[in-house]
Amino acid sequence: MKTKKRTSIILYMMVVPMAVLFFIFHTYPFLQGVFYSFTDWKGYGNWNFVGLRNYLHIFKDSNVVTSYLFTFKFALLATILVNVLSLALACALNARIKFKNFLKAVYFVPYMLGVLIIGYVFKFIFSNIVPMVGNALGIEALSVNILGTSSAWIGVLIVTVWQSLAFNTLIYLSGLQTVDKDLYEAADLDGAVGLKRFFKITFPLIAPFFTINMVLSVKGFLMAFDQFMAMTGGGPGTATTTISLLIYKKGFQGAQFAYQSANAVMLFIIVVAISVFQLRVLEKREEKVN
Amino acid sequence: MKKKKLVSLLTVCAMTASLLAGCGNGANNSGSGDSGKSGSSTAKSDKVELELFSTKTENMQTLQTLVDEFTSQHDNISIEITAPADAGTVLKTRLTKNDLPDIIACGGDATYTELQSAGMLMDMSDEVGNIQEAYMQMLYDVNKDGESVAYGVPYATNASGILYNKDMFEELGISIPQTWDELMTACETIKAAGKTPFELTFADNWTCLPPWNSMAPVIPDASFTADRKENKTTFEETHQEVLEKYAKILEYAQNDYMGTTYADGNKLFAEGQAAMMINGNWAISEFKNTNADFNVDMFAFPSVNDAERNTVTSGIDVLFAVSSESDSAQQEAAKEFIRFMTETDHAQQYITEQFAFSAVEGVAQEDPTVASVKQDIADGRVSNFPDHYYPSGFDLASILSQFALNVTNGMDLQENITQTLQTCDEQYDATNVD
Repeated sequence: MKTKKRTSIILYMMVVPMAVLFFIFHTYPFLQGVFYSFTDWKGYGNWNFVGLRNYLHIFKDSNVVTSYLFTFKFALLATILVNVLSLALACALNARIKFKNFLKAVYFVPYMLGVLIIGYVFKFIFSNIVPMVGNALGIEALSVNILGTSSAWIGVLIVTVWQSLAFNTLIYLSGLQTVDKDLYEAADLDGAVGLKRFFKITFPLIAPFFTINMVLSVKGFLMAFDQFMAMTGGGPGTATTTISLLIYKKGFQGAQFAYQSANAVMLFIIVVAISVFQLRVLEKREEKVN
Repeated sequence: MKKKKLVSLLTVCAMTASLLAGCGNGANNSGSGDSGKSGSSTAKSDKVELELFSTKTENMQTLQTLVDEFTSQHDNISIEITAPADAGTVLKTRLTKNDLPDIIACGGDATYTELQSAGMLMDMSDEVGNIQEAYMQMLYDVNKDGESVAYGVPYATNASGILYNKDMFEELGISIPQTWDELMTACETIKAAGKTPFELTFADNWTCLPPWNSMAPVIPDASFTADRKENKTTFEETHQEVLEKYAKILEYAQNDYMGTTYADGNKLFAEGQAAMMINGNWAISEFKNTNADFNVDMFAFPSVNDAERNTVTSGIDVLFAVSSESDSAQQEAAKEFIRFMTETDHAQQYITEQFAFSAVEGVAQEDPTVASVKQDIADGRVSNFPDHYYPSGFDLASILSQFALNVTNGMDLQENITQTLQTCDEQYDATNVD
């Protein structure tokens, strides 16, 4: 009894300060944002309660609807690409190949650089180096800056996938290392090799890692901001304005603070809903496998 | 299993909430900014500390020189300059914290209007005796409800039109176009000589604005901005010709104008890759950085064929405003500084270093790089930037960038124009209400 009590005090001492800080700097401002979403506050000066007006306006605002559609499209494609590629990479890096550690480092470097920095670097590459190469080789498609065309989002997608690969690969890699080697030997004896072995043995066994990667990817890409800010600023036109970018631009530059707070609450609810849905579905699958 | 689900769910919630946290920050600080400020100034009652906030990063050096001279004459005042990137946004976020700088140097645009309408600025009517009447009028026009009170001192002004490569024009025997038709002929001549008429830099979408800003005050009726505000007219009814001519300009632009950044475009233009650029006097110092010997001049954008009606677009680039939240010692010191800045010598020094024009009477820009518009400005053939009258959430640059993108994608011109102008009206109404 006595020992139990002592442990718990130490544990609380570790947890409570963080919880307090978290509440002050994170939960409290969050609740404030929710509060202001029911007002007409411009970010300063006087304000009045307006009830649900901001929320109702969201559905009528074509800017918001277009950027939601764009964000969903982007998040879906980025999630699929990142997970397929990082799973492939993880399998390759888990196999017995030469320069394994060196390659791991190579793939991990983009993750350590800030997304903004990568964004600016690639903006330069797309606007100067790629057109130069395109012109020299006479390839018309590459001779203009892709970020200035309707396909600007593809440019951003490439950079996003490249940057996000590292983290997902790392999680898959740790997942692959939990798979018992004996199982592979047994599979070998039963004649399951190559793709068959992957789909029947490896993939089901790393199901929990797949779940967490899917959830984190979708959440991250739905809230994509930095790379768009750095590379296109939401342009050309409003072709690459993600929902986070819209909230930032209109909320701070356009003095729609309260309205965009409502939009942010909306995004929060949507992301949570999608995540819950994903967890439900994917964990059912895990249970089936196990 | 259940527990794990809960943990992952909470993680997702928490991480998502950080998005909102950014929005909510700092809302609870009201008042603390004031007490902090007055606290520091009473502690050192002999020294008044001022913060000069500039929305331009380009004039930092010049301001610093002038501030140093001022503070060396006034031992009891110290001034610190802040000029962050994306200053308009920073200023607004500081406004949310009631932490307004003592002196604000901003443009006569929506940023000023917002500060003024929020009642954050001091009445400066006693300080504007030597300011040109035309610019005072521009200031009153952007006040809330057009109130004729000076809440700022117009200081430096800018000019936007067509910047041209003088050597190339001479070489091809082109004289300065006075009318729209002459401009088109000039473009043909340049094109026939195998050169690019216009260097456009639409990768930075604010540069979509200058052609519009030059044509919009001239082509539709002068009453448009006032009528639009009261919903008596629409963009769709009045701006058709503006976009038709806009599309013509795009035809004469370089190949990858959507993908060229402002920085790259300035460099290419200064290297002689194109004959003209549609932008303002602020770009000249950028050209000089690339090519110090670059022979450049500016002329008024010939929007219509009646040469008399064409104007240089000129607005208040820098005005000085004083926060009404500062204490009285600070406000006095701030006024003292503004008096110092508007003295002829110092106003001259500012515009000479910045290639700008002065709102102070009797101070003229003598630099040859802007010689052709100097006369227009002196004759009063000037119109303000129309976007200074639009509500601040109205993102015209993005709409025009979309228009240009549609042109590159080969969309039918009439359809594109109609759609763009309808978007203008929709967005204008959406931002004009709240």
